[in-house]
Amino acid sequence: MGRNPSDLIVFIVKRLVQLIPVLFGVIVLTFFFTHLDLTNVCNEWYPHAGAATIHNCEASVNQPLLNQFWQYLINLLHGNWGADVYGAAVYPAIAAALPATLELVFAALFLMIVIGIPLGVIAAQYSGRWADHLVRVFYLSGWATPTYLGAVIAAVFLGPLLGLPSGGEYSTKVVPFVQYTHMSVIDAMLAGSLPYTVDALEHLILPATVLAFINMGIATRMTRASMLEVLPLDYVRSARMKGLSEFWVLYKHALRNALITTTTVLGITAGGLLSGTVVVEEVFLWPGIGQYAYTSIGGGGSVPNFAGAIAVVIIFAVAVVAANLIADILYGVLDPRVDWR
Amino acid sequence: MTEPVLDVQHLSITYTVGAGSFPAVTDVSLQLYPGRVVGIVGETGCGKSTLAKAIPRLLPEPPATIGGGKVVFRGTDLVKVSKRQLPMVRGTGIGMIFQEPLNSLNPAYRVFDQVAESIRIRHYRDMGYVKTFQGGEVPFDYSKRPTETVASSLTKPFVPDGAVGEIVRDRLRTRSDFRKEVLEYLRLVRINDPETILDLFPHELSGGMRQRIMIAMALSEKPSVLIADEPTSALDVTIQAQVLTLMKELIDEVQTAILFISHDLGVIAETADEVGVMYAGQIVEYGPVAEVFHNPRHPYTKALLRAAPTRYKSEGPLSAMAGSVPNLSRLPSGCRFNPRCPLVQPLCREKMPPLDPVVPGEVVVGGRAHASACFFQSEVPNLP
Repeated sequence: MGRNPSDLIVFIVKRLVQLIPVLFGVIVLTFFFTHLDLTNVCNEWYPHAGAATIHNCEASVNQPLLNQFWQYLINLLHGNWGADVYGAAVYPAIAAALPATLELVFAALFLMIVIGIPLGVIAAQYSGRWADHLVRVFYLSGWATPTYLGAVIAAVFLGPLLGLPSGGEYSTKVVPFVQYTHMSVIDAMLAGSLPYTVDALEHLILPATVLAFINMGIATRMTRASMLEVLPLDYVRSARMKGLSEFWVLYKHALRNALITTTTVLGITAGGLLSGTVVVEEVFLWPGIGQYAYTSIGGGGSVPNFAGAIAVVIIFAVAVVAANLIADILYGVLDPRVDWR
Repeated sequence: MTEPVLDVQHLSITYTVGAGSFPAVTDVSLQLYPGRVVGIVGETGCGKSTLAKAIPRLLPEPPATIGGGKVVFRGTDLVKVSKRQLPMVRGTGIGMIFQEPLNSLNPAYRVFDQVAESIRIRHYRDMGYVKTFQGGEVPFDYSKRPTETVASSLTKPFVPDGAVGEIVRDRLRTRSDFRKEVLEYLRLVRINDPETILDLFPHELSGGMRQRIMIAMALSEKPSVLIADEPTSALDVTIQAQVLTLMKELIDEVQTAILFISHDLGVIAETADEVGVMYAGQIVEYGPVAEVFHNPRHPYTKALLRAAPTRYKSEGPLSAMAGSVPNLSRLPSGCRFNPRCPLVQPLCREKMPPLDPVVPGEVVVGGRAHASACFFQSEVPNLP
């Protein structure tokens, strides 16, 4: 009886194998969408370059599309993510940008969990009463806020009001320590610099709060719904009969079971958050993958960077799959009746 | 006569659903004494489960409202106790075993964690770590021994007021202390191989096993009142017999007052000392089990006993009672049994018969005299 830890390993391996066709599909789609119409792009890409550069460019662009794709795939498998038109490699840029975004997303997720889930419990506990309505107004206003509006309001009004910075990762452009992880708070902590850690945290608060506020609704709503489902059940009554206080009945016995649904939804949301940070990163000048994606597709008047765009899409795809995988694993951890299959 | 541990006085409970209100329990009084079992028997919907859940205030309020009466437990009226104080009452005062063992254990926690939680609650109260029940009109006197301070309890072993036996235990400190204690209770409810069961999840256990664990959990808090709400009804017959045997053995071992709710006359006959027969929210007959079952003085009890299949009466069709349980929102005036009663007279439609002793002059309150709520109770023995 019971589950074997090896079940979990088999489950993870299986899911990772399933990732391969997903990735291939994503690469095919983005590659061909970006390369379908490449007539006369070389002059646009290299406005001030000499004839030799233009010639080389046209030679590569005019190759059969399948050849180009094959070449890209071979390079990718060798760990070469390509470069933009100026020759700047994609990989180091992504390696620096992705952790910054992850930091932002984790901070937002943290806020969603520690604020959104208890709010859902409170809403269920007082369902139909004023506390429930208040919570609903709160998360619906978050949900109804367009990201750009929320981000701009926070950056322009809330930031100065609360004395919080609303741009970049640190107050200074250059920091006096090596950024090992490219996560601002963790780098500052690794360097052992308290002022920089505080500074990094202050910079993180606003963008993370905006991201959390806008996406909080899903956590609160799911928690409330599944709590309402769990609360009338017999085992909650048994817990109450044991003499546990209402707090432990709610948070230890009921929420533990209600979290199963919330976790699944949060996993899916987390994947979406990662790709949804583009606007927030743009507004808060956060040097994350969202900003990189924005410039790669030619945003802000920059020259399109196809290799970068494809890389970003691959990363987003992996992130969504990974977030779902983690949600599935947690699902099994939270509910002992579930087998990892 | 000793004081009752639990004294239910004229308790009435109403459910309000939409505009309608349903009197689920009307004017019920009963007393529970240590070491005695009071059975409540009645058809589905007669209010016996509502009564059981109302005592530890487990009914969701609303829709239920306690319309009147008192539930006096250790000198305090539980009807008036605040919601904040209820956990303290439930924790160590009143234990309950539920009807649905399949759903009554939390699916997310192992058996050990769930039983240990109950033990921990009782233990912390014993040790004075957690506030015990204070309030009501009379201060709640838990266990009648001098309360230890936290400081003194750290150095001194203590003797629990043993429901299980006079085992001297030290303070429970580590997980293995709790493990030993949990094992003890699992053995008490006759679980074979408790070491294995301990680490299983509820979904890995059978219904009978889960009910045993529920019983262990209830007993581990050493309650002075145990309410068993149809503890065997959801189990199949062989398991039912096992759990019933266990209950009977435990009734002799633990000297708690027990309220045993069942729709099964045989189960009540085997376990209870006294029985109350409920009909449409009222106790219509009350008395020692042997007397009520052998010499019923209420036409409803008589009909109920006739309808019960017994192994000696296997020939012929089963007899069914005429009519059906009245709708609680449209109760008949006067005696609630009058539309189905063979002895019905005009008086029965006008007045509600009081619960009168069968032998005139016997004291009904106190709970040991045979009493029946029928104007014509002396004619009942002549019924077929």
